[in-house]
Amino acid sequence: MVPASFEFIASLSVIGVRDLVKTFPGARGEVRALRGVSFEVEKGELFTLLGPSGCGKTTTLRCVAGLEQPLSGEIRINDRIVFNAADRVFIPPEQRRIGMVFQSYAIWPHMTVYQNVAYPLTSDVSRKEIGGRVAAILERLGLGPLGDRLAPNLSGGQQQRVALARALVAQPQVLLLDEPLSNLDAKLREQMRFELKALQESFKITTVYVTHDQEEALALSDRIGLMHEGTLLEVGAPVELYLRPAHKITADFLGNANFIPAHVDGHEKQLGAEMLVATPLGNFVAQRGEWQVGVPAQLFFRPEYVDLLDDADGAVNGLNRGSGVVERVSFLGNSADVIIRCGEIALHARAHPARLPAVGKRVCFHVAPSSCIVFAG
Amino acid sequence: MNVTPVPIAKHVPLRRWFVARKPSARSLVFGLTLITVSYLVLVPLLMLLYASVKSTEDKLPFESTVTTLSNYTAVFTSSSTLPIFLNTLFFTAGSLFIGLPLAILLAWLLERTVIPGRAWIANLILVPMTIPSLLSAIAWIQLLDPRIGLVNIVLRSALGMTGDTGPFDIYSLYGMCFVQGLRLVPSAYLMIAASFRAMDPSLEEQSAMAGRGVAQTTLRVTLPIMRPALLAALIYFIVVVIESFDIPGLLGFTARIRVLSTAIYWATHSEVGLPDYGLASALGTIVLAAALLLMWNYQRLTAHQERFATITGKGYRPRQLSLGVWAVPATVLCVFYIFVAVLLPFVMLLWTSVQPFYAAPSAESLGRMSFESYYKIWQESSVVRALWNTMVLALVTSIATILLAVLVSWFVVRRRRQTDGLAHYLATVSFLPQCVPSIVIGLAFIFVYVRFPVPIYGTLWIIALAMTTRYLAFSSRTTTSALMQVHGELEEASQMAGAPWTRTLRRVTMPLLAPAIINVFLWVAVHAMQELSMALMLYNPDTVVVSTMIWSMWQNGRTADAAVLGVLLTGLSALLLVGGHVLWSRRHSNS
Repeated sequence: MVPASFEFIASLSVIGVRDLVKTFPGARGEVRALRGVSFEVEKGELFTLLGPSGCGKTTTLRCVAGLEQPLSGEIRINDRIVFNAADRVFIPPEQRRIGMVFQSYAIWPHMTVYQNVAYPLTSDVSRKEIGGRVAAILERLGLGPLGDRLAPNLSGGQQQRVALARALVAQPQVLLLDEPLSNLDAKLREQMRFELKALQESFKITTVYVTHDQEEALALSDRIGLMHEGTLLEVGAPVELYLRPAHKITADFLGNANFIPAHVDGHEKQLGAEMLVATPLGNFVAQRGEWQVGVPAQLFFRPEYVDLLDDADGAVNGLNRGSGVVERVSFLGNSADVIIRCGEIALHARAHPARLPAVGKRVCFHVAPSSCIVFAG
Repeated sequence: MNVTPVPIAKHVPLRRWFVARKPSARSLVFGLTLITVSYLVLVPLLMLLYASVKSTEDKLPFESTVTTLSNYTAVFTSSSTLPIFLNTLFFTAGSLFIGLPLAILLAWLLERTVIPGRAWIANLILVPMTIPSLLSAIAWIQLLDPRIGLVNIVLRSALGMTGDTGPFDIYSLYGMCFVQGLRLVPSAYLMIAASFRAMDPSLEEQSAMAGRGVAQTTLRVTLPIMRPALLAALIYFIVVVIESFDIPGLLGFTARIRVLSTAIYWATHSEVGLPDYGLASALGTIVLAAALLLMWNYQRLTAHQERFATITGKGYRPRQLSLGVWAVPATVLCVFYIFVAVLLPFVMLLWTSVQPFYAAPSAESLGRMSFESYYKIWQESSVVRALWNTMVLALVTSIATILLAVLVSWFVVRRRRQTDGLAHYLATVSFLPQCVPSIVIGLAFIFVYVRFPVPIYGTLWIIALAMTTRYLAFSSRTTTSALMQVHGELEEASQMAGAPWTRTLRRVTMPLLAPAIINVFLWVAVHAMQELSMALMLYNPDTVVVSTMIWSMWQNGRTADAAVLGVLLTGLSALLLVGGHVLWSRRHSNS
């Protein structure tokens, strides 16, 4: 078969997804669930598809798995094209050699843990080898003594491990995880997050991970692809995406954000900054962003980059500074969420729990230019 | 940013659907299922329609060359058919008038009030379901025969009546309504109790909080909420009564009272003249049309309910009313009902089976009591054959039905977008036999196979095929709702583990459906063992089954032998049900 595009095949990535379009029948005609999604996942990488519910992340994952058939585009796993609409190629899921963990774990309740995990092996492996491999993976996941248990008698965390063991036992080339932690309670979720990462690294398995939980995505991923309304908006390493988002939507979805209406006045060469914007809080210098002189824009910075200054410091006037009255303080344990009222604007800031500002008190604050980004609109 | 530039395809054609593989096992089986179901359901029905405009008296549809509506005009103008319609109307209304209020009352007492001995009463109510309705008709004849009926004899002497008949006459429309009405109670009770259970008690509690008493709450909240469910039950049981053959067949035979279902039978098994297939098929088409119309309404009423039920599958803890002083009369009523409707006919059946000829219980007849019939009956080769045939029939029918039902429900529930229309068709056609009275299926199967190249006419297989068709509706309904409870990811996990479709079906889907499969198996097996009308239309001396044997014994006056076979059949049904239940609960406690 002639490959659709030569460059595509020549790249070293394990998963290649190109121009994926998928529609579902809706109340009023077709709903475009995916509108041309393209990405690549490198060998051994943990790639996360992140986005709110309904953004198309699970649909993308199910297309890679083969559980959904896209309308157009191409999907490649290693050097095998598993789906190509133009050439009418569709490899069914059972022939794709992919391990998958479902959101519900999908542990078969009529089988024991051992039978569940051995299931993917029975076709071409000898009985003795099956025993050895199942025992090894159960041991590796800390399920050693549970082999004879039936699935309904397992805790949520154990079920999740069984699902992982079942996905990994046949040594697939690719592991797909569909919100695997969303059914666990908060404490267990945090613990499993690290275990999952350690496991993925030790198996060096190429993984696509789907979640709506930004914290999970930031903690686990090598790279995150942020999805929005059926498109892959932007792809990058967690730090990059968090600190230097290219889109306002990314900035808004990841972590907390302050958006202040602004308009761009010009460049301030003196400070080495790129642009100066005028806001109701005062003039701010931002190091990054898109702008057009005279056109309305929005200044973005995160609450944790707002430095609260003691009143004594005085200097209210000046660049990247402002003042307001503390309207509310919500104690969160490891920090406190502070809302500062500056006229029309309610500004979010983070305070150290040992230094909580008093409600009603006037405070000054400062935001470093490196933490400020200007978005159009 | 780090977005990898990926070349964009120049033009990707938008295809609505495409099949990129050679036909998979899955699509092959889908095709086969579609063909089988269409063949089983549609061919006989079309044949029936064809016959109704083709056959004239004593001719089969193929032997006649004229297309005519004369069969229909005959039905509507003949003075002999008018009583049939009136009788059917009276019989249906009367049976429902007796059966439904009783079932509603029992369901309300047992579900919504604190009544002593609740579990006992609830279980005993269901016992008549194991007794074939043919046998309950026979039992009631022994009790209410105007001359020799036990109840009549006792009443006559108690009331000092002279003469040797009355006061009751079972061989009348009233008698038919009475027996049929009681017969409806167990299944109507089950259906209505289920809707009482599904009702959110907080709706009633809210009314109580608003200061309404029990009577007001019942009238203004409970009944209006229950109305769609009760209406659905009413429609459902109208169809059941119209279809009913055994009771009007047996009682109406002596009384010369015919309803639609028995009229179809007698038109093809005339005692005096030649079979009139034209009349039979026209009557069959009319019954079919009426049942279709009713079931369509039933579907409309329950479609919403079912959707509701799958979302809130949780069991509510219903509000239970303390009856106070009324507890005693309520319990007495329940006990009286069980005595009359459950115990009396059953004991009568046993009594008849140990008497050489029928006689009311007395010191004299007690002396004649013997189990001789139970031994003698085995010397008759046709009885042994009938028992063997019945078992084969029950086994073959239930296995075939289960297989087909599981496949149908799988393709309906796990429908793909591309085959959505076909899946919808499959769901509709497989439910269609629910609207086809058994006697009509029997008639239609005669038309299909009497001349058909498939040589199964006069074999046991034609009966098995007819029953499979009839029971497919209930069975596929049951497996469909069971499959809807099985999360699709359980099957997808098997696919991801590399299992082809057939292996997924065998190793994951079927085991997960096991409870529903066992239930349907038992239901179909018991129904197939007790079924009379289809067997009666399609059997011959070689393929005699227990139910048809009882029918002909009764017609030949062999009451005791009929009762013996009836007791055997009831015992076999009960054994199957209890055995299945035990097997199931043992399996359940293991996991």
